[in-house]
Amino acid sequence: MSEAFEPKILAFLCNWCAYAGADLAGVSRLQYPPAIRVVRVMCSGRVDPLFVVKGLKNGFDSVFVSG
Amino acid sequence: MEAVEYLLDLAGIGRKRMKLCWVSAAEGQLFVDYVTQFSEQTQELGPFSPDEFKVPLAAVEQTLDSPRIRWLLGMSRQLTERENVYHEKVDPEEYKGLLHEAIEEEYEKAMVLEVIKEGPQLVREISGRIGLPKPRVSFWISQLRNTGQAAIEGYDKTTPKFVALAA
Repeated sequence: MSEAFEPKILAFLCNWCAYAGADLAGVSRLQYPPAIRVVRVMCSGRVDPLFVVKGLKNGFDSVFVSG
Repeated sequence: MEAVEYLLDLAGIGRKRMKLCWVSAAEGQLFVDYVTQFSEQTQELGPFSPDEFKVPLAAVEQTLDSPRIRWLLGMSRQLTERENVYHEKVDPEEYKGLLHEAIEEEYEKAMVLEVIKEGPQLVREISGRIGLPKPRVSFWISQLRNTGQAAIEGYDKTTPKFVALAA
């Protein structure tokens, strides 16, 4: 492969914790990899185990859940 | 989530494809660290091909959707932290064992069902496809026939071929 593999990560972030954390990281201009695609949920308890499988099924390389 | 990790390992996808971690609203740096680390880990694992894992993925999905697993997961705290009316409580380790056993069984069953969805097959062929001993496959076929999810369709000489019925 000539081009470097760019992973696609599906991220479920809790509105009140990790999403705000990610926001803070953005505001404080901290650098982080562009690989994640964020889905905001109102609570990480909303994330059903099936979401992980559906994410992988639809072509994501890995799934990240944070709250 | 421990159950999902266990199931991903079982399916050969690997638990490294998912991660759960706790970050508070004030911990921007921690979030960055986690994302960087996980992104590197995914990079090392390389791309995931859903086509290659089509059957295991479908089986994993079916397992997580099964009433048995849903019930066990939903009752985890009730079973391990609170007592029932007879003052019985399940030891967390015992619960974990039960859950793993249930996951393994449901996953085997789901794999058999997924394979026969592709067309009528002999027990021998199914066994070869998913690497499960023939008696085990026969057992799941009989279970699936009892619940009306599988049936005999055609014979190879005198050996029956099985196919999945639409739900």
